[in-house]
Amino acid sequence: MSESLLEVRQLSVCYESEYRQTVQAVKNVNLHLKPGESMGIIGESGSGKSTLAMALMGLLHHDHARVTGDIEFQGKRLIHGEENSWHHYRWRKGAVVFQNSLEVLNPVLSVGEQIQETVGRHLALSRKESRMRAVKYMEMVKLDPKWLSRYPHELSGGMRQRVLVAMALSCEPRLLIVDEPTTALDTPAKKEMVQLFQRLQQQQQFAMLVISHEMPVMLELTEKIMVMYQGMIFEQGNTKEVIRHPGHPYTRGLIGSSPAINPYRDLWGIPGIQEHIDPKQCPFYQRCNQRVEACEQQCPVLTDVAPRRQVACLRGGIVTLLEGRGINKTFGDGKETITACRDCHLKVRAGETVALMGMSGSGKSTLAEVLAGIIEPDEGEVFFEGRKVRRNRETAKIGGMQIVFQDPLSATNEQMSIEDVVAEPLTIMKVGTKDERRQAVKQALKDVQMPQSEDFLNSPAFALSGGQRQRIAIARSLTMKPKLLIADEITSMLDPSTQANLIRLLKGLQNQNGFAMLYISHDIDLTRKVADWVYIMEHATIIQEGPASELLHPHIHHRHQCDDGNHHERHRQRKHHMIVSVS
Amino acid sequence: MAAKIKTIWHRFTLGGKVSLAIIIGIAAMWMLSPMVARHSHRIPSGPVLEAPSAVHWLGTDDLGIDLWAQLCHGAGASLQIGIGTALLAGVGGSLLGVLAGYHGGKLDQLIMGICDMMMVVPQLPSMIVLGAFFGAGRSNMIMIIAIFAWAAPARIVRSKIRSMKHDKYIVAASSYGAGFFHLLKTHFLPGILPLVVVNLMRIFSHAIVAEAGLAFIGLGDPIAKSWGMILNRSLNFPGIYFTAYWKWWVVAPVAFLISLMLALAMVGRDLERVVNRKR
Repeated sequence: MSESLLEVRQLSVCYESEYRQTVQAVKNVNLHLKPGESMGIIGESGSGKSTLAMALMGLLHHDHARVTGDIEFQGKRLIHGEENSWHHYRWRKGAVVFQNSLEVLNPVLSVGEQIQETVGRHLALSRKESRMRAVKYMEMVKLDPKWLSRYPHELSGGMRQRVLVAMALSCEPRLLIVDEPTTALDTPAKKEMVQLFQRLQQQQQFAMLVISHEMPVMLELTEKIMVMYQGMIFEQGNTKEVIRHPGHPYTRGLIGSSPAINPYRDLWGIPGIQEHIDPKQCPFYQRCNQRVEACEQQCPVLTDVAPRRQVACLRGGIVTLLEGRGINKTFGDGKETITACRDCHLKVRAGETVALMGMSGSGKSTLAEVLAGIIEPDEGEVFFEGRKVRRNRETAKIGGMQIVFQDPLSATNEQMSIEDVVAEPLTIMKVGTKDERRQAVKQALKDVQMPQSEDFLNSPAFALSGGQRQRIAIARSLTMKPKLLIADEITSMLDPSTQANLIRLLKGLQNQNGFAMLYISHDIDLTRKVADWVYIMEHATIIQEGPASELLHPHIHHRHQCDDGNHHERHRQRKHHMIVSVS
Repeated sequence: MAAKIKTIWHRFTLGGKVSLAIIIGIAAMWMLSPMVARHSHRIPSGPVLEAPSAVHWLGTDDLGIDLWAQLCHGAGASLQIGIGTALLAGVGGSLLGVLAGYHGGKLDQLIMGICDMMMVVPQLPSMIVLGAFFGAGRSNMIMIIAIFAWAAPARIVRSKIRSMKHDKYIVAASSYGAGFFHLLKTHFLPGILPLVVVNLMRIFSHAIVAEAGLAFIGLGDPIAKSWGMILNRSLNFPGIYFTAYWKWWVVAPVAFLISLMLALAMVGRDLERVVNRKR
C-alpha cells in the first residue's frame, strides 16, 4: 500500500531478565496507519500499550528486550538494534509525547533549553533559529514563551504536558505517538488538552497513535481503535462502533468500567487479575465469562467479524445466548382477543445485561415467559445458544437459562422448608447425592447473602419477608448455574432499600459468575443503573432498542425524539411521558 | 417424634382436646368391649326393659340384652364404616380431583360430569335402592355411602389444584423438569392436605349418620348391631314414647351418636390448623 505511513507486521517484544521469567509484552501485533489518520490503543495497565509505543520509537534497549517483526515507515524498514536506521526517523518523522511526569524532563535544564536542544540536534538549526522555533511551538500549544526560561518543577502538570507536546512537534513529525496524554490532568485541563490535539492535528496533518485507557479521549481523538490485552490485540475497528457495540468480552468489560461512557450505571471492573499463563491458551481465559474448553488449548487470532472490524476470540466475539425471532402471542377465545406480543425480536449476548422496559400491560412478562419456554408462542421461534427452545428443555438443566418471577410469595412454596425450596431443581433432576445437594444449597444461599445454619435451612419459607423470599428464589435459580437469568420485575414488590440490595447483589453475582441477564422492568432509574442494552416495549411491540447510555440518557433521548420525524408520534409522546414521569 | 406430637397437641384447642378424648374413648369402648362390658351384647342377661342400674348401667332392651354392651359393640360397626367410607370416598375423591384439576381437558370433563351427576341424584332414595339391591353387609354399606360422598372432596380439591397450577412455584418446578409425581408429592399433596383432612372428618361423620339412617329404616346388617340398628329396634317397639323405656333405650344411642359427631367436627377443625404449618 503506497499511501501507508506506518506499517507494522508481526511485532513482538519479549522482556528477558536473569531474575524473573521472560515476559512477552507484545505479541504479533499488526498495525497500519495512513497519513493524517489517528488510531487509539486501549487496555488495562500492563497490557503492553506503552511497550508497543516504545518499540515503535525504537527506544527499547536491546539488552533486555528482544524485538521481532517488521516496522516500516514510509516504505523504509526500521530495524531494532541498528541505530542508524532510527536516527532519521526519530523526532523528525515520528515523535512521542511521553506520559506526563517530572522525570520526563531534565530538572537542571530550563524548558527552553530542552526544546532547543531537540530541535538543534535533529534539524541542525542555528541557536537563533531553534530559539525562534521553540517560541513558535510554545505559542502553538497556547503557552506564553516567557515560560521557556523556567525549570520543569516550576510548571504545573498541564503546562508540562504542553511543553512535552511542543517538544514533540518541534521537528514537524508525520507521526505523533501520544502516551496517556490526559491521565494526570483534571477535567478542564483534559478538555483543553484534547482540543489542543484536535487543533494541532488539523493544522499539521500528522498521524496520531493515542495510548490511553480513557474512553472519552479515544472517542474525541481517534477514528480507529485497538483493544490490547497481555500484548495481544483483541479487537479493532471504528472507535465509535467498538465503544457502542463491543465485540469482545474484554472490550465490553473496559467500557463497562468507564464512568464517562456509562454516567448512570453502576461501575463494575473486569473480575479477576491479569495472569501470565500458558502462551498456548487464550490470555483472557481466566477472566472470560463465555470460555469453552477449546479456549484453554488454543490462542485466538484476529479475524474479521464485520467489514473493518476484527475480533480475536475463538467463539467469534461475544456470543448470542438467547434470540427471539418474530414472536407473536395472542390470548383469548376467538371472540375477544388480546395481543401480548407482536413480531418481537430480541437478543441477549453472553455476560450482558439486557433490559426489557415498558409499562405494565405492554406484554413484557408474556415475552419473558415465551423466551423461557413456559408459554408456547403462536408464531416465531426462540433460540438458546443456537438450539430451539421447546418447553423446559433449556431451563431443566445445569448451565441453561433460569427465570425469576415478579411475585416472590407465589414463586416459592411457603409450606416447604428453605432447604427444600432451594434444592428443588437439583432434587427434580437428581443431581448429586443428598450431601452434595446440601452443599450446593449452602453455596447458593451464601451467594445471595443469606444464613446457612441448620436452623435456617429447616425453617419454613413463610417465615421470611418478601425480599428474603426473592433472594431464596434467586438462590434456587443459581443452583442451576445458569448462563442466562431472566429477571421479571424482581424488585417491583420490594421496598427501596431491599430493592437496592437485591440489584447490587445480582450485578455482583453477574460480575463474579458471568451470567447474562434479561432484566425486565418498568423502572427507568433502576434500569439505567444496570442495563447495557435496552429494548422498549409498548402495546405488545418492541418500539426501540439501543445501548442504555443512549436510550436512557435523558438529554440524548430528548434529542432523538426531536430527530424522529413524524413516525410513531403517539408512541414518542407516550414514551416521553413515561420517562418524564419516572425521572 | 415425641416433640412433634407434643407440638401438635399444643396446637389443639381445649374443645379439640376434649373431642379427641371422646373419640379415643369410643374407640376404646369398642376395642375393649369384652372388658368394659360385663354382659354379652347378644345373649339376654337380665329381665327385659330394665331401667339403668348398677348391674345394667344403661338398662336392657326388649330381649333383656344389656344396652351398654350393645353400644360398646355397635361403636365398632359405626367407626369401621365411618373410617372405611372416609378413606374410600375422601382419599379416592381427592385423587380424582387432583387428576381432573391437573390434567384438565377431557378427563376433567368426565370426572366433573360424574361428580355433578352424583350431586344431583337424590341421595337417600338411591341409597335405599342400592342398599336393598346389594343387600346388607359392612363392605356393601361402605361402598354405597362412598359412592355418594366422593363428589364433594373431588370438586373442592380440583378447584384448589386448578388455582395452584398457575402459581409460579409450580411453573418454576415444571421449568426444572418436574413431572406429575414430583408436583403431587412436594406441592399438591401438602397444599390440599388441610382440605382433605376436613373432608375426611366430614365424610367420617356423614357415613356414621348415613349408616345409622339406613340401619334405622331396616337396611342395616341385622347381626352387626350398629348404633343405627339399636335405634331401629327401639323405635320399632310399639308405643315406645308411651312408656318410660325411651329414656334409656332411645336416648343412649342418640347421645353417643351426637357426641361422636360433635367430637369429629371439632377434631376436624383443629386438624386443619395443625396440618397447615403457617397457622
